[in-house]
Amino acid sequence: MIVLERVSKTYHPDSVGLDDVSLRIEAGELVSIVGQSGAGKTTLAKLLMAEEQPSAGRIEIGGWDITNIRPREIPELRRQIGVIFQDYKLLPKKTVFENVAFALEVAGAKSQHIYDVVPQVLKIVGLEDRAHRFPRQLSGGEQQRVVIARSLVHRPKVLLADEPTGNLDTLNTQDIMDLLVKINAFGTTVVLVTHNREVVNALRRRVITLKDGKVASDVAHGKYTLTV
Amino acid sequence: MITAWRIFAASWKHFARNLWIGLATVFVFTVALLSVNVLIGTNVMLERVVAFFEEKIDVTVTFESGTPEALLTQARFYVQSFPQTASVQLVSPQEALDAFKERNKNNPKILEALSELSTNPLGAQLVIKAKETEDYPFLLAAVRNPQFQPFIRSSSYDDHRTAITSIEDAAKSVRLFGSGLVAVFSLFGLLAAFNAIRVAIYTQREEIAIMRLVGASSAYIRGPFVLEGVWLATLACLFTAAAVWAAIYFGEPRLQQFFSGSDTGISDFYVQNWLTLFFSQFAVMAGLSALVSWIAVGRYIRR
Repeated sequence: MIVLERVSKTYHPDSVGLDDVSLRIEAGELVSIVGQSGAGKTTLAKLLMAEEQPSAGRIEIGGWDITNIRPREIPELRRQIGVIFQDYKLLPKKTVFENVAFALEVAGAKSQHIYDVVPQVLKIVGLEDRAHRFPRQLSGGEQQRVVIARSLVHRPKVLLADEPTGNLDTLNTQDIMDLLVKINAFGTTVVLVTHNREVVNALRRRVITLKDGKVASDVAHGKYTLTV
Repeated sequence: MITAWRIFAASWKHFARNLWIGLATVFVFTVALLSVNVLIGTNVMLERVVAFFEEKIDVTVTFESGTPEALLTQARFYVQSFPQTASVQLVSPQEALDAFKERNKNNPKILEALSELSTNPLGAQLVIKAKETEDYPFLLAAVRNPQFQPFIRSSSYDDHRTAITSIEDAAKSVRLFGSGLVAVFSLFGLLAAFNAIRVAIYTQREEIAIMRLVGASSAYIRGPFVLEGVWLATLACLFTAAAVWAAIYFGEPRLQQFFSGSDTGISDFYVQNWLTLFFSQFAVMAGLSALVSWIAVGRYIRR
């Protein structure tokens, strides 16, 4: 469960990222966070992965109050949340296998466990035959699937996807969204931050719309209602 | 244990996959170390040149012909008793005459004039070597005491005073400037190495940020970079040692020509001090690399 209680994030007096936002996302939900540029979507994502601290309010993930999380506790939090980025953020000098294994290595997993689990996860995302390639040798869609594999490998309870289809074509976008729906079906809470109208409308799941740092709407089976 | 092994393995893998950055860093390290070693070698050679000239200096005190042998022996023991004295050699009148003839064997006129004389015109000589060049005036003043002064015909110190003072000044300058230059070059070398690591890590700043986002602890991120710095320093020290050895092996015979065939002192110096030189340079380079890597990586580890 993810809880935000009256969370605000102010960068400068005249630059507000989030303004008094309260949210509750239940375990196992798939929620889309939508909004135009500057609405506060990325700020929300950064707060959830503790990349930034809120200026006010309280944030809780899975019962863990991360509002004032200490820097040395941040790696532990990130090992419990899977994160997917628009720009992939793969380690360019590591192979597909090593990129996925890295998420387990940093958590101190045993080598045998890594050699058992990583091929399984790569199979789920359909990249078992790309294990020894480097990111530069993959297409955008394949790279995003590696990122999903990396974020899944330690079986996170929450998967945070920040514009996961932003750099992909329609076909790859559909593949990635199918994967995210599948992952959600297995019980993982998925928080999808996006401004892709088609993606949100196709899902027909809960949609939270942000506007000027505030929650403008929160609809259980919503659609992308913003106009450009 | 498993984490330590992973950090160790990652450092080598990282080095192999960033080979060009690694080799460029090793190159900068090696150039820095070589410049310091060239200066150390030059300093050793200059010290040898100074010592070579210092060895050539002596003061010869010539006594009047017919000076009693007992007085000459007494003068010799007297001079020898000073701690400033390195050696004293008493040359008899006959030995002085033989040496004079040898020196002038290609000058028949002098030899002919000498044979006209019925007695040996040369007196005995005391050849004095001081431990330090600045001790000559003192030793000369000591031997010119009232007991020996009446029997002293001349001394060579006055003729060589300017040369001795010049050598003395040169020796002081060489030692002072040599040490200063080694210190300055060491500092420049360290700065160059420091920046080479900073640049190498700067090129990988995004990877560092990604590692953090994926859940790596600061120590787990820093570890491979710190160890890689130590490997780079090790390689640079080995390359430098090989280059210095090759330079001495091939260069010293050519340098000996400038020393009239005698030893330049460089190989002796390196043979006697290679352990200290290698490990002190390795310790400084490896320690610096590890420290700079630790600090530089920290700059790119965000929350």
